[in-house]
Amino acid sequence: MTQAATATSNSPTNTTIAVNTTTTTSSTTNANGSGHEHGHVEDNKELTKRVIETPGCFMHTVKGTVPHLTPDTMRLQGFGGVHVSMEQLLQDHQPGGFDKWPFTLSKFLNLQDMILLSDLRDPSRYFKVPINSDRYVSIKTHKGVRQLTLEEYLKVIRAYQPDIAATMADQIAEADVSPAGTGQGSSDAEGETQGSPSSGPGLKRVRRSVDRSLKWLDQILLDRQGMDAFTADRAADEAKRRRRQKVAAGQSHDSKREIEALAQDSQNLDLVTGKATTAVTRIPWPGVSVFAHVLGSHVEQERIRSAQETARREAVDGFIVDTNPLRGSSKETILNLLKVSLDHLPVEKPRMVYGLQTPEDVLKSIALGADLFDTSYPSHLTEDGKASLYSFGSNNNAINTIDKSNNNSTAEATTNRWINLWDDEHANKFIPLLEGCECYACMGGRHTRAYINHLLKAHEMLATVLLMSHNMHQYSKFFTDVRQSIQDGTFEQHSASFIQNFGSEPERTGEIHAAQAIVEAALSKRNRLDGNNSNSASSRRSSRNGDSSSDSEGEQGAMSKEEKAEARRKLKEQERFERKEKNRMEGLKRKKEKQEQLVAGERDAKETREP
Amino acid sequence: MKSALKWDVIAKCGTTKARAAVLTLPHGPVNAPVFMPVGTQGTLKGITPDQIEGLGCQIMLNNTYHLGLRPGQELLDTCGGAHVFQGWNRNLLTDSGGFQMVSLLKLAEITEKGVQFESPHDGSLMLLTPEHSMSLQNSIGADIMMQLDDVVSSLTTGPRVEEAMWRSIRWLDRCIKAHKKPESQNLFAIIQGGLDPALRKQCIEEMVKRDTPGYAIGGLSGGEEKDKFWRVVSQCTDLMPREKPIYCMGVGYAEDLVVCVALGVDMFDCVFPTRTARFGNALTATGTLSLRQAKFKDDFRPIEEGCDCIACKSYTRAYLYTIVTKETVGCHLISIHNTAYQLRLMRQVRESIIEDRFPQFIHKFFKDLFVEKSAYPEWAVNALKSVNVDLIQGEEQL
Repeated sequence: MTQAATATSNSPTNTTIAVNTTTTTSSTTNANGSGHEHGHVEDNKELTKRVIETPGCFMHTVKGTVPHLTPDTMRLQGFGGVHVSMEQLLQDHQPGGFDKWPFTLSKFLNLQDMILLSDLRDPSRYFKVPINSDRYVSIKTHKGVRQLTLEEYLKVIRAYQPDIAATMADQIAEADVSPAGTGQGSSDAEGETQGSPSSGPGLKRVRRSVDRSLKWLDQILLDRQGMDAFTADRAADEAKRRRRQKVAAGQSHDSKREIEALAQDSQNLDLVTGKATTAVTRIPWPGVSVFAHVLGSHVEQERIRSAQETARREAVDGFIVDTNPLRGSSKETILNLLKVSLDHLPVEKPRMVYGLQTPEDVLKSIALGADLFDTSYPSHLTEDGKASLYSFGSNNNAINTIDKSNNNSTAEATTNRWINLWDDEHANKFIPLLEGCECYACMGGRHTRAYINHLLKAHEMLATVLLMSHNMHQYSKFFTDVRQSIQDGTFEQHSASFIQNFGSEPERTGEIHAAQAIVEAALSKRNRLDGNNSNSASSRRSSRNGDSSSDSEGEQGAMSKEEKAEARRKLKEQERFERKEKNRMEGLKRKKEKQEQLVAGERDAKETREP
Repeated sequence: MKSALKWDVIAKCGTTKARAAVLTLPHGPVNAPVFMPVGTQGTLKGITPDQIEGLGCQIMLNNTYHLGLRPGQELLDTCGGAHVFQGWNRNLLTDSGGFQMVSLLKLAEITEKGVQFESPHDGSLMLLTPEHSMSLQNSIGADIMMQLDDVVSSLTTGPRVEEAMWRSIRWLDRCIKAHKKPESQNLFAIIQGGLDPALRKQCIEEMVKRDTPGYAIGGLSGGEEKDKFWRVVSQCTDLMPREKPIYCMGVGYAEDLVVCVALGVDMFDCVFPTRTARFGNALTATGTLSLRQAKFKDDFRPIEEGCDCIACKSYTRAYLYTIVTKETVGCHLISIHNTAYQLRLMRQVRESIIEDRFPQFIHKFFKDLFVEKSAYPEWAVNALKSVNVDLIQGEEQL
């Protein structure tokens, strides 16, 4: 039995997702973690995993950490699972360097107590990447776009042993396809049909993306069983090679038929049913559940085909519907397309949705049958300096905190879903973000709005730590309340009143708060001044109490064009002097002249200290 | 003058001038010798108050200049001071703000009245006087507050040094007069006098007459030669009253801490551990690891074996390599580790003093950090020789 993730669900319903348990979990609350055993040699001791109750969510991570939260603070948030994007984590030397790899990914990221889902792409945004082909997808790593083949991805899964691995999928979006006729920016290596900009990618391209993704799914499932999944690929390669030879020799006339014939010869397995005629050739990895991406872009019949074909493969443990590539369409259209997919997926397996993370989108998606989400919404709020006030169900926090003089119009309700801590009005409010909230920031009234306002304006990183603690806690609580309401049979009623009370999340415009703009401008001005001061690296190290808070690692909220240019310039400057500093340090180390190094540091410091 | 502290020396090193003590302040006891991390703007670089407490930190620094500008005196008065404002229930020490004006602002001008500077916000001229500094520090409510002093670079020579020394004494008198809460806040005097032993001596004589609850050695760590630095420190600790805490400002490198403790200093502060953390540098007993270097990409050891900080308990160097200077969490983790390292170092120093094996500790410390005796900094060797610890010859005798 390879299914490692189990869940049952109706629409909407709540249940528990647990990993590697033999008991089918249908309990609703307080489910205990199941005994978990990893198939990896390094990590075979019994561990208690947390569980994810559904509807619920995975914590969204950047480079394997929940933004701003150290492991201790992160565990206060009450989530049971973590979503990790491979494109952020894979390094240049990987997967090549995995020979030396001693860990599961859970252990490497210190997340053994969490359910770990790994996917290639970041679910919180959609980055346009240039090209996918039959053999690889393009991913956006720290060092830029790179191509990853399925073989490489399987190597990654084998080395990392995540609890759940998402399939490699050929995602395409409107943004990927250039307007017909320009002949540029094709999203397909083979330069297939171009879509028109209004209707999204062309039908042929969508079909191809569904076919490719299904083929990759089958190969992943075969590989998990320890079967050789690449015989067909090798056959095709061989056919192409022979054709090239013939073309070079001037012998080829009907190459396409030739290739097909050659490839067919080597096809000795039934990809659809997974009945391979080849023997087990590799070590299977049954401990990893497979969540399959369901595709189809804007084309309804393709969405249905993708959902049905994927669902037909029994070995699939769960599904992911990524709505990020549909961005640009109306919410209504997106929800309709989501419904098309969900309607053709089995209810007994968990269904995860990317790209619909605001509370009201979550409610609507749950109503359509979605089970799992991620926490990119609280991350976005935090980046913008906002703290959640919304709440679901009868104990409506925000309504209680709204100034009594306000009439409860929809516009005001919308603004009361959160507060922006950059606003000057909070500078003298010595009250918690949300009265009665039990998050780390609010608990016991220890941290006030005034303090967080101060931290933001002082460009201090604790601001985002506290905001993230609060926003994550509130998002977790939101899901808890939703599950409770499903149990109580009040979900529809509370959903309606939630949307009435809080409206819908305004689009993130990319504009930064006026107060933030002032802080950024002041910082860049000071950094310019610092820049004139050569050798600032050393002065930073030894100046007495001269901590001027010029963190380059501050919030990277949405910025205006000018601000972005400024930030880039700042970053370059920083990198330059750090490089210089590094070279200097290494040089000195080589000579083992520690004393000289200290003297030099002080000499530098002196220059900047003199009034 | 009045004092709001208790200073109990519990052990003295039999060889050096080092001592272990308990400094009891309004917000609880502090084990000395102590390193005080610097939370300039009412926060320690992304570390939560709970995490700082968890590291065993008993006293932290804030900065009068920064808190005076933001959130400002009025708000501090409204909420009841900086402890409440930042949710920190242990001790705080505030610097007077004079140093920032000299170091951060290009257009600071020092007159007898005070330090005149251009506001970084609107460019208007502002004046920080000893009275204003005291008033701000009273609003902040720090357990230890520092007098406003006339700071000159330690490399300045000539009459300006003497002028600054005398002015600092006059300003101390004004500070004492303006200090509104001597029963709940301790004012420390700052010894000035540059690198001139005669001036330092005069300054100490005058300031000791004022009988403040503690004394700081100021005007150092500004790029002077280390060999001159330690001589000034040693001279000061010889002349300063031994029944009060001695604080050496702006010292934070591990070897400087160990040497200065041996010379009789009790308290230190420096931004170095948290600042260097933000560039991905982790401090260990065997030297600094620059975790941005690719050589750590397959290094599956913790930063430092045996360290019980959250960074070392949770992650390998290989993982930290992937996030330092890229994710705020990377920065928080290294800041936590470096602070843990500094505090642990001081705890070890203290224990070795209590168990009267501080000289042995010094030998081991230098051996771990520099490996070869030829790599030991000459100034440290000289400084320790002056307090009867011979790093080069003496190890065998122990």
